[in-house]
Amino acid sequence: MTHSKKNVSDSAKSGRFMGAMTGFVEWTDARLPIVRTWKTHMSEYYAPKNFNFWYYFGVLSLVVLVIQLVTGVWLTMNYTPSAEAAFASVEYIMRDVEWGWLLRYLHSTGASAFFVVVYVHMFRGLMYGSYQKPRELIWVFGMAIYLVLMMEGFMGYVLPWGQLSYWGANVIVSLAGAIPVIGDDLLVWVRGDYLISGATLNRFFALHVVALPIVLIALVVLHLLALHEVGSNNPDGIDIKKNKGPDGIPLDAVPFHPYYTLYHDLSGVVLFLFVFCAIVFFAPEMGGYFLELSNFQEANSLKTPEHVPPVWYFTPFYSMLRAVTYPLFGIDAKFWGMLVMFGAIAILFVLPWLDKSPVRSMRYKGAYSRVALLLFVVSFLVLGVLGTQSVSPGKTLLAQLMTVVYFAFFLAMPWYTRKEKTAQPPERVTGRFITIPQLLGSILLLILLVVLPLMLVSGSAEAAEANLDLEHVDTDFDDKGSLQRGFKTYMNYCSSCHELGYARYARTAEDLEIPEEVVVENLIFDDSLIGDLIVNAMANEDSEGWFGAAPPDLTLVGRVRKPDWLYSYLKGFYADDTKNLGTNNKIFANVAMPNVLHELQGDVICESHGDPDYCELQHVEGTGEQTPAEFDATIADLVNFLYYVGEPIRSRRQEIGIWVLVFLGILYVLTTLVGREFSKDYH
Amino acid sequence: MTDVSKNAGRRRFLVGSTSVVGAVGVAGAAAPFVGSWNPSAKARAAGAPVRIDISRLQDGEMLGPIPAWRGRPIFVIKRSAELLSALNEDPDRLTDPDSQELEQPGYAQNEYRSRTPDVMVLVGLCPHLFCSPTPHIELKPEPFDSEWRGGFFCPCHGSRFDLAGRVYSGSPSSRNMEVPPYSFEGDNVLVVGIDEENA
Repeated sequence: MTHSKKNVSDSAKSGRFMGAMTGFVEWTDARLPIVRTWKTHMSEYYAPKNFNFWYYFGVLSLVVLVIQLVTGVWLTMNYTPSAEAAFASVEYIMRDVEWGWLLRYLHSTGASAFFVVVYVHMFRGLMYGSYQKPRELIWVFGMAIYLVLMMEGFMGYVLPWGQLSYWGANVIVSLAGAIPVIGDDLLVWVRGDYLISGATLNRFFALHVVALPIVLIALVVLHLLALHEVGSNNPDGIDIKKNKGPDGIPLDAVPFHPYYTLYHDLSGVVLFLFVFCAIVFFAPEMGGYFLELSNFQEANSLKTPEHVPPVWYFTPFYSMLRAVTYPLFGIDAKFWGMLVMFGAIAILFVLPWLDKSPVRSMRYKGAYSRVALLLFVVSFLVLGVLGTQSVSPGKTLLAQLMTVVYFAFFLAMPWYTRKEKTAQPPERVTGRFITIPQLLGSILLLILLVVLPLMLVSGSAEAAEANLDLEHVDTDFDDKGSLQRGFKTYMNYCSSCHELGYARYARTAEDLEIPEEVVVENLIFDDSLIGDLIVNAMANEDSEGWFGAAPPDLTLVGRVRKPDWLYSYLKGFYADDTKNLGTNNKIFANVAMPNVLHELQGDVICESHGDPDYCELQHVEGTGEQTPAEFDATIADLVNFLYYVGEPIRSRRQEIGIWVLVFLGILYVLTTLVGREFSKDYH
Repeated sequence: MTDVSKNAGRRRFLVGSTSVVGAVGVAGAAAPFVGSWNPSAKARAAGAPVRIDISRLQDGEMLGPIPAWRGRPIFVIKRSAELLSALNEDPDRLTDPDSQELEQPGYAQNEYRSRTPDVMVLVGLCPHLFCSPTPHIELKPEPFDSEWRGGFFCPCHGSRFDLAGRVYSGSPSSRNMEVPPYSFEGDNVLVVGIDEENA
């Protein structure tokens, strides 16, 4: 009896609650169309049921947008937008702010991920004719998003105020100076100074974090509103509204929510996050493509780095800029290069009016269109790869050729889309079109077409680059003994001239498992406290006078140079009477640093065996406090320490990464199973 | 029919487990954003214990508002026998003469609110709205109190405290001034921010 009574009162309670909820929803909906909006754009937005792999990337770009907005807001909480403090504040985020390193890596990886998903999303549009009537505005808004995204990427890259931030900004902003007549004045106006300076940084910061995100969000809203007005395209490029059921819903459609949101896209998003987090936790630099190594050096307006490559997502356009080498009509090549570069972006906007084909999808277009799209993708990729490399005559020629191909895709489109023979698309949507072998074949063909021309022009330039013979050294964060010895060697031999200006004694002691009292008593030589940065008040000015160059801060040297270089460099000093210091270095010729470890290493001479270009380092037996083997071990420990201090979180980042990936793997399995189970209802 | 019920069970399990794992994921993703609001290594370094040399502090003198600890002014007062005897003359005038409220570490919960009777260490902030009170150490009538027995007067809202930082009845503040954790290194060095117990 009591049991059933309880049930009754429970259901009465939940009935009252539901009643109140319904009342509340009715009240708000009479004032704000939340339910109607939800239906229009989610639960009663009917999308074609044959979306394939390529259709994930629209949703993914929204996911990345959210990642960028949230991490971006959080980064501004600790970033300082000034030329004096920006670089240090980024290192502060990386080291001193709890989880700051993760926020920054999410944001920097997110920037590259944004372009990856947007490029694939654009390719999808090209392949299935998603820009064709009546979807011209969707495409135009999409291109505007792409343009704003490039501005965001460019300005965001300036904010860390590293060497590439500075010189990249210098190169791109200088393009304004190429405009005839007003160029020079415009250039000064854009920079707010006679060079890229704090004024430029501050205005870029304001645009990057406030103005452009607002424009970006507005454009995304317009992009989606325009899409939902005319409805989504599909891989067959046919109009699903032609075949409607008795309820007025297209027969080939499924409600966007929950079919796509929960049962289709969710597992795709998790899979994307898996790949994304794998990069964030295990390769945030992505071999120098996502975070370029020179950017771990602070901006210096007097010293250009050896290479100033743009970030990878700009390289195709950068290649086009460099490919234009002829002055024309009395105006110099720089101006025409700029025109070609911006033209390459501008021409994308008019694409909907260039395609004259009666069909949308590449599935039913003719051979000309297919070849044209293939060559277009080849040109974009080849230009992209060339943009990361330094120029040679062969490469410039290839870039010029590919620039022509890029533009020909668009300019010849009205002709070849009319000329070719197209197939009749089906009445109803279909599933997979090409077979797996055909797909693999196309990918192989694409790779061949990209790699072969690049191989043809490479070689000569690479060989010319000085090939340093670096000695390999292993680093190991878990070898605390090695790190402790390295720290001690650093404090004894390096710290009187160099600083570790972004690292703190306390953090270093903790990571290296040295008790704080031991550090205070044995390794802090000035009146610094344990929580202080490892700076040295007397270091810089004196030594600049002695050696003619200020000794650089070494906090990030392990990151910029990598262990093998440091190891070879520190072992590479030899006696050379022709130099002021009496020494020279095999790895870094004419370096302004003396061999401070000489007392340990002893004398080393350069044995040329009669060949002036040859140099074999030979230790003079009986000199030095350490044997060559002991000395090598000392250097290995020092390098291990410097590599650690370059990114103290490295080891923990990877430990956390494993857990994150395991978790996302489980979530992927679950979301896939949910998707499989529930999508049965729709087929 | 059996197929449907089997499906329902399977579905309930899948949705349940995915929701739980998803919720864990959301919580995990939120953790770095929440955690990044904690004091950074820089803030913690700045908030580290401070060492103060009190060797030259004379009877009836005060050090402060510098040095500061965690950005808050620290008052260090050397109380003479006369000042100490004035402290507990008339406990009825005080709101909390026995320091019942936990505004001080255990070792300072005594009649002098200090480790040693003579050296008084206070966070120089009025617990009312956190203005810094002005010291009036001498035992003489003041405009704000004709029977002043030494202490601190807050210029913002008129709270009055004795030389142990205890608030007088009738002040806007209802609590005594805070005694920070502190300890001594030898006779002359005061360390604010760290107890001997925790050192």
